[in-house]
Amino acid sequence: MRNLISRLWVIVLIMLGMVAPCYAEKIVIEGSTTVLPIAQRAAEVFMDSNPAADISVRGGGSGVGIASLIDGTCDIADASRPIKDSELEKAASNGRSPKANVVAMDGICVVVNTANAVNGLTRKQVKDIYTGKISNWKEAGGSDSKIVVISRDSSSGTFEAFGELVLKGEKARPDALLQASNQAVVSAVSRTPGAIGYAGLGYLTFSVKAIDIDGVKPSKESVLTGSYGIGRPLFMYTDGKPKGAVKNFIDFVLSERGQRLVEEEGFVGLK
Amino acid sequence: MRFYSVWLLAVCLVLACAGAQYSYAGEVDILVQKLVEKGILTPGEAQQIITETKEEVRKEVAQGKSYSLPQWVQNTKLKGDLRLRFQNKHEKAANDYSKDTNIGRVRVRLGLESKVNEKLLAGIGIATGSGDPRSTNISFGGYSSKKTVVLDYAYAKYAALPWLDLVGGKMLLKDVLWEPTDLIWDTDITPEGAALQFRKGLGEKADFFMNTGVLAVDTDTSSDNDAPMAYIIQPGIGYKLNDDVSLKGAFSFQAFDNVKSHTSSTYSSASNSGNSVKGTSSYMYDYSMINPALEVKIKQPFRMAGSNIETLKLFSEYVENLDVSKKASGFSAGFQFGHDKVSKWGDWQFKYIYAMLGRDAVLDVLPDSDRYGGKTAIRSHEGAFTFGLGKNTSFGIDVYRSERIGMAAKAPETLVQVDWNMKF
Repeated sequence: MRNLISRLWVIVLIMLGMVAPCYAEKIVIEGSTTVLPIAQRAAEVFMDSNPAADISVRGGGSGVGIASLIDGTCDIADASRPIKDSELEKAASNGRSPKANVVAMDGICVVVNTANAVNGLTRKQVKDIYTGKISNWKEAGGSDSKIVVISRDSSSGTFEAFGELVLKGEKARPDALLQASNQAVVSAVSRTPGAIGYAGLGYLTFSVKAIDIDGVKPSKESVLTGSYGIGRPLFMYTDGKPKGAVKNFIDFVLSERGQRLVEEEGFVGLK
Repeated sequence: MRFYSVWLLAVCLVLACAGAQYSYAGEVDILVQKLVEKGILTPGEAQQIITETKEEVRKEVAQGKSYSLPQWVQNTKLKGDLRLRFQNKHEKAANDYSKDTNIGRVRVRLGLESKVNEKLLAGIGIATGSGDPRSTNISFGGYSSKKTVVLDYAYAKYAALPWLDLVGGKMLLKDVLWEPTDLIWDTDITPEGAALQFRKGLGEKADFFMNTGVLAVDTDTSSDNDAPMAYIIQPGIGYKLNDDVSLKGAFSFQAFDNVKSHTSSTYSSASNSGNSVKGTSSYMYDYSMINPALEVKIKQPFRMAGSNIETLKLFSEYVENLDVSKKASGFSAGFQFGHDKVSKWGDWQFKYIYAMLGRDAVLDVLPDSDRYGGKTAIRSHEGAFTFGLGKNTSFGIDVYRSERIGMAAKAPETLVQVDWNMKF
């Protein structure tokens, strides 16, 4: 038995030695599920035009990605929020220097049926509608009709962003109709006269009416300038200034082509 | 023009580094907005510059805080916990004689982990205890006698490559093996020897890992010159089916060599109540165990029914000792649901495990010491409920209902443990 085990150990060590060279120039990306579609799509297109590139993309959440960057187990941490002070302190004590690279903006439009007379709401009113404090359009400047609340399923990044930027951590009313995609929300609102929903700016169509929030129209420019209240930057954090293969990838994401991919995924591009 | 704007921003960044950090962030905003108005920067570039500059300033402030601490403090983490326990054990023997034992216990663990350099980590931990490898509890009594503290672990961990760690010393169990339940190994055991941990991502959904180790089980004795050793190899895979469902599975081979004829440990239940023995205290067999194990984790499993329960885990493992033909297998199966971690007020978790171990399925110095005293030849139900009382403190109640199998008497036993846990 001991001989068998000794041989197994030798085999294991040889296997480990053999796979070692495979790791050259590999990029590991981990983090936010919101940024995940951007990272996945960009990685696919980047690898198509750079066959030597080997990019592995994982979700897990912003906190997980940043923790991995601090521990040195990933090269790029996707994040839908800025790094926390506690994480920066931990990074500094681990000898890491997280560098924020803004790659896109996440802008969320609040949409209503085209037959609805309401053209604008405050963020507080939207919150009150979603938490059930306002249930009739007449309480928000509209006609006397029941509000049908449409939301995204809890696994979506848009749901997470809306919860953070509008609901401020409160839960949506339990009878909200959950939809699996931005397109499904737009479609449901377009078919339901009293409906209200929300979707990424890139998914807006003429079949619904995007309303002003706190007097500001949702648009690429208002999201980019920060004047529209339901928007946030999306990050790819690197350890220090990006170098080598990581720099090539970040440069690609920020290029015209990369930013087109960002918009195709429903986010607001920086170009 | 573009060069001018970049130069202007660079000058401002230098000023920021010179100290006027907070007020500077606002000035950059104004400057960048002016450049947007003049068409030098696009709104997207402006957003990028403003956000990244603010982040850079925050980082410098955080680094300032961190660098103000001595280097050894920055490189060292201190952690520990305190658990106060009341325990009731109700034992019933064949002649209907029953006995209740009530004891109070305390467990204190204190550990530090220090980064020696970029790749090397040293961990040292002390804990209450009497030397029992499966327990760091110490019972109240002895007329308030002072309690003993022992070395719990002392290891070095070397990150040889991004995908390979080498660990040596008196190690933490998680650095040697992954196990979904404590069917084979009590989680308090800190194995001694050396281990290699290998991990590799297999695309975006799967991870491969392999744990291997050579462990010292006991030293030579005058009557037995071959020291018992354990050799472990455990390949496994983690797989994420979708955002809500993930699996982790492993198959281990654990060979305990030269155990046969070796004198049993004072902490084992060998003799007539544990593994088969020759004479009064020498093990009759070696233990070459195969052990498949699987865990399924589901996030928000009852969402469709309107429930907010955060996580459901289902787990099971099987063990068989290839060196023995009878009473040589065991298995456990169970589930856990509630919050993934109990870390604040109101968080809760419930766990149930059914376990069965044949008399010679595993070496009897290994299994969970609370499950019928850590003996083999048992079957047991365990239900545990944990409730968060606040940040880093929780209340727990753990009930074991166990009995012997393959023995003349079942001798059932009920163990109730009520715990107050504090982490720091």
